[in-house]
Amino acid sequence: MTATPNERDGLALRSLLFRRGRERGWRRLEEILRKVDEYGSVNLTAAEAAELPLLYRSVMSSLSVARAIALDRHLLLYLENLALRAYLVVYGPRATVWERLAGFFQRGFPRAVREVRWHLLAATVALAAGIVAGYVLIGHDAAYYNPLMPSELAGDRGPDSSAESLREAIFQDYPGFTQTFIVFANSLFRHNATVALMAFGLGFMFGLPTVFLLLYNGMIVGAIVRVHVDKGLGVDFVGWLSIHGVTELLAVLLASAAGLAVAQGILFPGRLPRLEGLAVKGRMAAGVAAGAVLMLFVAGIIEGGFRQLIANTPGRYAFAALTGALWLAYFTLAGRRGNVSDD
Amino acid sequence: MSVTTDRVEELFGGEVKRQRLLVSPEGVPLHIVVAATGDRLIAVMIDMMIIFAVSLVLAFAGVLLFQSEHSIGYTLMAFFSFIVQNFYFIYFELAWQGRTPGKKHANLRVINRTGGELTPGAIVARNLTRQVEMFLPIGLWLSLAPGGSLATACLFGWVALIGSLPLWNRDGLRAGDLIGGTQVIAMPKRVLLSDLADRRWSGGRFLYGAEAQVPAYRFTPAQLSIYGAFELQVLEEFLRRPDSVTTERGLQEVYKRIRRKIGYDGDVPDADIRRWLTDFYTAEREELERNKLYGTLREDKTGAVRKP
Repeated sequence: MTATPNERDGLALRSLLFRRGRERGWRRLEEILRKVDEYGSVNLTAAEAAELPLLYRSVMSSLSVARAIALDRHLLLYLENLALRAYLVVYGPRATVWERLAGFFQRGFPRAVREVRWHLLAATVALAAGIVAGYVLIGHDAAYYNPLMPSELAGDRGPDSSAESLREAIFQDYPGFTQTFIVFANSLFRHNATVALMAFGLGFMFGLPTVFLLLYNGMIVGAIVRVHVDKGLGVDFVGWLSIHGVTELLAVLLASAAGLAVAQGILFPGRLPRLEGLAVKGRMAAGVAAGAVLMLFVAGIIEGGFRQLIANTPGRYAFAALTGALWLAYFTLAGRRGNVSDD
Repeated sequence: MSVTTDRVEELFGGEVKRQRLLVSPEGVPLHIVVAATGDRLIAVMIDMMIIFAVSLVLAFAGVLLFQSEHSIGYTLMAFFSFIVQNFYFIYFELAWQGRTPGKKHANLRVINRTGGELTPGAIVARNLTRQVEMFLPIGLWLSLAPGGSLATACLFGWVALIGSLPLWNRDGLRAGDLIGGTQVIAMPKRVLLSDLADRRWSGGRFLYGAEAQVPAYRFTPAQLSIYGAFELQVLEEFLRRPDSVTTERGLQEVYKRIRRKIGYDGDVPDADIRRWLTDFYTAEREELERNKLYGTLREDKTGAVRKP
């Protein structure tokens, strides 16, 4: 007797047969994915790590086959979900956070900095313009000093301070390890890092706030230099400033350059669609900004500690020149070799 | 996946509007679902609560450990809070492949919008802008209290606009996502349940495997040529619903309609309705899957045929 398909006792449902044949592999993949979820992909055994790509391929092919033959909606949704989860693990990063951080300092950061060199130049011009403007403004009329200067930065220094009190501030006694290296270094770091993150983040608003931030901070520097020059302390003050200023200003400039690169990605996307262009620029720029924050950490330690430890002007200039040379060497030489994509 | 799936999703009020397509390097298209704003809000609130709690613990520890020198305790605390505030998201998204504790709880995940690898640069990029998007508006809002200047109010408005960016675009991207080229998707885990055709309702319980393979009700080819894939998958949704009075009532309604439509005239006791529907589902699926293999899949009861 010829039975209609649904009258046969055996299986005629291809999708069900297919599922019975493949299900074991899917379950195994699920198990490995659960392990990755709980302990991270670096904690898989060698055998599991070798198995994962094979299982991934097989679930991808299962999905394609299921789409072609099966009408079991639940099965299709399950396979798609499993494939997506496996895809994110297989094409996800395999290194630990620390390995990736090390890679960033060896290659990613200096490379990204070299890529924003023209933005760095633009940021430097903006800051220099601010410094000149502040310098000239205070020379013109010292009354502008107070409205310009944030009180927590100025301390009690100003056009009315005597030359002696300014000198004392520059060459004050070393107040001890904890006060300098921990307390002072820290508050400086947090203040500067916030400024740097702002300079980068505000790049998203077409870069205008970044430029204003640079001009304004430049004016502050220019103003305070002028106050000291007027009292005959110009050379000593610049020495006091440069010991950490080289690192600190470079970091702020880098963060701003990163912000400007983001702005460029928005305003002039070039040949890519705007959103893609922004994403490409943004990733590179974010590396620069993150590196800049870590530079500020170094600057905070130098500023809080070493500045008062080296209490003479030539020594300070020498230290500043040394740090400048080190940064220059790092940014121009590091990470020249190796694959571009592995940062 | 076929269009049919989307129609079923739509019928049951699913997330069709938030579905996007991502193509794997092997060329297999995968559907992803953009995370709902509410879920993201929950995730970020959990994360902020953790950050706040850790900062608070650090503050107490600082005060307790350095009672004599408050300034050092305060400084250490402030330093670690800064680190936690700025590197919490970066650390977890790096270590947990695009998830933070909050995102894990809400079943969310950060992915590369173009389908490539989620690079450290992208993660750093999307999180460094948090300072401007989240912490700056909060700070400005706190300083907005009485006597705030007009300039501050304007800045607040501008920054709040940037911060609320996810509400104004259909992919829910924040400024950080734009810069990093990332996207947050919802990814609940699906569990593989047994195939409906692989079990049979009999005598108040499910039978599985070979035992289940003998259908109690048979259908003629003419009866199986009425419905299409869409109706089949809607029936599947009904049969997969958890057992309850509402489900039973729904199944009875579906049973009556199918019976009338296909002109079935056998006797079916009330207790056997689920079994009858399962048998019909299995027979119909077998019929449609075979047609699909021959390239003449009937999409729905209107008879639209999709050629491959």
